[in-house]
Amino acid sequence: MFGNPGMLLNRETSKPKKTSETLRRFGGYFKPYWFILLIAAGLIVFSTWTQVLAPDLTGQAVDCYLTPAVSGTSGQAGIAIPGQATSITSSNCWYDANAATLSTSDRVGGLLGLVLRLAGLFVLGSLATGLTFLAMAWAGQNVLKNIRVALFKHLQRLSLGYYSRHEVGDLMSRITNDSETIQQAISFALINVVSGILLIVWVGYNMLTKDLPYAIVSLIVLPFMLIVTSWFSGQARKAFRRSRIQMGNVNAELQQSITGVREVQAFNREDENIEAFKTTNASNRDANIKAVAWTSALGPTLEALGYVSIALVVGVGGIFMLNNGSLFGTTISLGLVITFLAYVQRLNMPIQQIGMLWATIQSAIAGAERIFGLLDEKPDIEDKPNALKLPAIKGEVVFNNVWAEYKKDEPVLRGVNFEAKAGQTIAIVGPTGAGKTTIINLIPRFYDVSGGSVTIDGHDVRDVTGSSLREQIGIVLQDSFLFSDTVMNNIRFGRPDASDEEVIAAAKLARADTLIERLPDKYKTVLGERGRGLSQGQRQLIAIARAALVDPRILILDEATSSVDTRTERLIQAALEKLLEGRTSFVVAHRLSTIKHADQILVLKDGGIVEQGTFQELLAVKGHFYDLYMSQFRRQEQGAETTVGATIGAGAVGEIAG
Amino acid sequence: MAVKPKKPARPKMNLAGLKRARLYLGHYPRIMVVAYGSLILATLAQLVVPTLVRNIIDTVTNGVIAQKILSAPAAFQPQIEKALNYSHQQVMDYGTDTSSKLIIASLLMVGFAVIKGIFTFLQNYNGERLSQSVAYDLRNDLFAKIQRLSFSYHDKNQTGQLMIRATDDVEKVRLFLGQGLIMTVSAIVLLVGALIILFVTNFALTLVVLPILPIAMVVFFIFGAVSQPLFFKVQVKLSALNTILQENMAGIKVVKAFSREQDQQVKFEQAATDLVKQQLMISRVFTFLFPLIFLISNLGQAVVLYAGGAQIINATLTLGEWQQFSLYLAFIFFPMAQLGMIITQMAQASASANRIFEILDAQSDVVDKPGAQSIPAIVGHVEFKNVSFSYPGSTTPVLSNVSFEAKPGQTVALLGATGSGKTSIINLVPRFYDPTQGQVLIDGHDLRDLTIDSLRRQIGIVLQETNLFTGTIRDNIAFGRTNATQAQVEAAAKAAAAHDFIITFPQGYDTSVGELGSTLSGGQKQRIAIARALLLDPRILILDDSTSSVDLVTEYKIQKALDQLMLNRTSLVIAQRISTVLNADLILVLEKGSIVARGTHEELMEESEIYAQIYQSQLVEDVNLDHEAATAMIGQEA
Repeated sequence: MFGNPGMLLNRETSKPKKTSETLRRFGGYFKPYWFILLIAAGLIVFSTWTQVLAPDLTGQAVDCYLTPAVSGTSGQAGIAIPGQATSITSSNCWYDANAATLSTSDRVGGLLGLVLRLAGLFVLGSLATGLTFLAMAWAGQNVLKNIRVALFKHLQRLSLGYYSRHEVGDLMSRITNDSETIQQAISFALINVVSGILLIVWVGYNMLTKDLPYAIVSLIVLPFMLIVTSWFSGQARKAFRRSRIQMGNVNAELQQSITGVREVQAFNREDENIEAFKTTNASNRDANIKAVAWTSALGPTLEALGYVSIALVVGVGGIFMLNNGSLFGTTISLGLVITFLAYVQRLNMPIQQIGMLWATIQSAIAGAERIFGLLDEKPDIEDKPNALKLPAIKGEVVFNNVWAEYKKDEPVLRGVNFEAKAGQTIAIVGPTGAGKTTIINLIPRFYDVSGGSVTIDGHDVRDVTGSSLREQIGIVLQDSFLFSDTVMNNIRFGRPDASDEEVIAAAKLARADTLIERLPDKYKTVLGERGRGLSQGQRQLIAIARAALVDPRILILDEATSSVDTRTERLIQAALEKLLEGRTSFVVAHRLSTIKHADQILVLKDGGIVEQGTFQELLAVKGHFYDLYMSQFRRQEQGAETTVGATIGAGAVGEIAG
Repeated sequence: MAVKPKKPARPKMNLAGLKRARLYLGHYPRIMVVAYGSLILATLAQLVVPTLVRNIIDTVTNGVIAQKILSAPAAFQPQIEKALNYSHQQVMDYGTDTSSKLIIASLLMVGFAVIKGIFTFLQNYNGERLSQSVAYDLRNDLFAKIQRLSFSYHDKNQTGQLMIRATDDVEKVRLFLGQGLIMTVSAIVLLVGALIILFVTNFALTLVVLPILPIAMVVFFIFGAVSQPLFFKVQVKLSALNTILQENMAGIKVVKAFSREQDQQVKFEQAATDLVKQQLMISRVFTFLFPLIFLISNLGQAVVLYAGGAQIINATLTLGEWQQFSLYLAFIFFPMAQLGMIITQMAQASASANRIFEILDAQSDVVDKPGAQSIPAIVGHVEFKNVSFSYPGSTTPVLSNVSFEAKPGQTVALLGATGSGKTSIINLVPRFYDPTQGQVLIDGHDLRDLTIDSLRRQIGIVLQETNLFTGTIRDNIAFGRTNATQAQVEAAAKAAAAHDFIITFPQGYDTSVGELGSTLSGGQKQRIAIARALLLDPRILILDDSTSSVDLVTEYKIQKALDQLMLNRTSLVIAQRISTVLNADLILVLEKGSIVARGTHEELMEESEIYAQIYQSQLVEDVNLDHEAATAMIGQEA
């Protein structure tokens, strides 16, 4: 009703593949709300009934009270014409049996009664419509919530392997888009389509039973409307699909040119870029205009067809009435014409809506299908049915001929053996791709080994529950992930029951307290998304505090390779030294000091340990470690043990400016 | 592109932006005339239709009655005619050719409906064309502005924000200018037209329904006003929910590492419940308001049925006139409902328009001054004269009183801790920023007297972080010199040690960067950036000689490429490597924005304690010993 009906078409639509299965599953979520649905269904039937009845009553108003008036004589219905049994117009009045004998004022009174009844019907119908929406919203929103929660739980059970194969951004946009389409479908599309179809069928039935031939003539336009709607919508969707691709190009070009704006300016490319963008932008405009031609035509075409059906109802009805008011034996009255007129007008809206909303419902089913697909994704790593709770550990970690692979038959670890005694610091060194990260991923069982075993205090990590295992392991990653929450809550993340004092103590231990004290709201400062507003080094300090608060027996640490400013670097180093004390620690090492102080150094190459020992031992061998030391670590030898990497460009400029 | 949960901005009504956006419509006077002309014609045609409906119904009614009268015995006819208030002439008229009259009346109505349809199509289509064209202009203007705004602007504004301006905000303005504005005009024309016709055709009946109109108006506007903040709140809750989801996926490792799945589930469920509650708030309001809108219009029709029916019974109104009246009444309710919707749309569009013009009105800090000269071929003499600098909008000086001179072909190495002002110095040379005090001179010209284009064309820049652009590898190397030949591109790539890895790609230089995606390593990107700068053959070179974390052999290659690049050019280098410093003609040691020591390596080792310290602690010994690199290479291949 509001505006251009084509507006709804400009949306991502997709077709489901397994409609019936998806619907059955989706229906399963509605089961707890069957009672609400039953009520909603009853309400829909009731409100449709009021809509079907209203034109009938209007027709009765004409036939019972208005038509006799054309006789113009008061106190007498119609004029008795010799040779004719009835009044001068044919009448189908059933509403008021005495209508034929009413006086003028009685007829006005009777009309008032009918209008009041009609008004009452309108009120009840509206109320029913409103309540239907509420009931459906209640059931639908709860269903959507339940699906969301189920999905969230499931996503958490999926292993890291899944996340390494899928972009979080893609997953995120899929989930949000799909729940959005489901939301639209259940909040209004479903009701409108159901009640629309019900209305069309009911009105059609009513018309056909009242006067079959007249109804057929009146409804002849209906199939054309349906065809036009589905054909135009189909064309429009195709055209919009093309225009969305163009829009994607516009967005990509925008994104790039904004991200790379400094280089664009440095290389004097502004004019060329602007010209190139104009071309892309123009293709987008033209694709849109083409698509819009279809949607612009749909509304007016349906409207014109609607008027054609009005002309048919009145024109054909009139001609039949002129032919002695009958057609194939049935009687057409003025009231019937008015009733049919109201009926065909009432059909226009649902026909337009169903055409539009059908696509929404299809998209929603496709969306549900994708969400169920996600829910069906089997987690690679799950607790065994009889998994034990890992008791408090000392921290002895043994890798026993460990093989690991991310892709089938492409092993990243090939038979790794080592033993870390409780309290030892193990430094892992080696070139990129040698398998350092894989080793540390196996200890908290982020992935499973493909051969051999990883044991902690003699327990195979696969035999214990994931939570009892990970609760005793602390992890500090290179790019520390922080949540958009207060600093306090971020540190408290691993131990929600920790008191403020404990949090502050952990921050002090991690040397993060001075940094936090400088933040606008100190510990209550809410960090931006992913810790925005803090430098990488500062984020790592908070991550260290977070790990320190848990007081784990085993600590896993991925040292930052990228440049951090000197002062923060020193703080991190001091914090780590404190943290490593007395815990079994695994460090993917980039700092000379870490390596020097390690109890064991594992030198990895191509998925195997090629050398193993202390710093002095390994240097003496003059093998791989020696080469690595000469090329990578020796530069840290003198003075400060850090490389200060000042980056020019975007980051640095921002940092200095800020 | 990472999907960030959108932070919805609560729209406020400030129409200044919309008024300005409206001026863009003026770029397309022809489309506008067609669109609004069609609108007027379509609306007029629409206003005629109810009269045509009346015409048909009355033809039917009168025809039927006349036929009945005529079929009565002749003696009775005058009596009936008198009783029904018909003249004999009328009865004869109505009674003859009724069927053909009816057909003509019906066809007339269909004809008008078709005319109305055609003009509505023209109105819709041209309205959309108009709005797409305006969006095109707005986006072009935004893009051009964003491309030209100086660094200081981009320092302060995030890519995502700017993207939203050029996409979502433009779309909202477009929707309003295309659909909203046309709908408003057509709604008002229809409303006024229908009201006038109602008053003219049946003053008494119009007075009866008149009291309903203000009620309807109030309800429609309440609907607009109430629903908007509710939708806003839902957006807030939804984005809170999405943030949790997003963070739990992006941070899944942390969540798992700390075994916090349970907590997060509770948190998520809470947010989901909040969202449901908020959604149901909307549902409750809609349960009441939405049916009310239809109820009011239905009740209006009921009132007309009663009041009009009474008039019919008293023979002061015909059945056709009654139908006509109720159709016109629908023409009044419909536009009112539309206007209620448009108000909401307008509020959003105005907020968006204001944000768009905020960008378009932003002042670039660095612009060509009137009468700026194009700089001739640069010799390469760079001089800083008492330069002080602070970033726009900040009062903290980043550079204070910096003076130095680089003769053509010399290498100047910049040393100092993060924040000491190295980056600022190199940013001033291509005039990414202007100094707050003092002068930067190239070949004796103050940079501010030169056109920016001519200046930057002759300066090559290699940053540590490299952005590559859509297109082939070749396009990216020829980024600053689009007309370079394949031979020139390859020569540059060879000099930058990039050729070898480029030819391993499936389509070599024609491989599209997009297809490679993230398979290009930092080191490879860096070498393409070096080739890109080499191809320009600039007289002045600005670079960061640090290498990203790459393996030994690559690092060696990159360093060689960089050394090659610096040869015979005036180079300003943020120095990380000892060899750069050793070879530099001038070393500037910076601390807190001032030059604290200057000279050659030998001089500084003698004189400057700070330099010695930095030399010891911060510089990276390069793998410049050929045999060491060779050993490493052999080691790697083995």
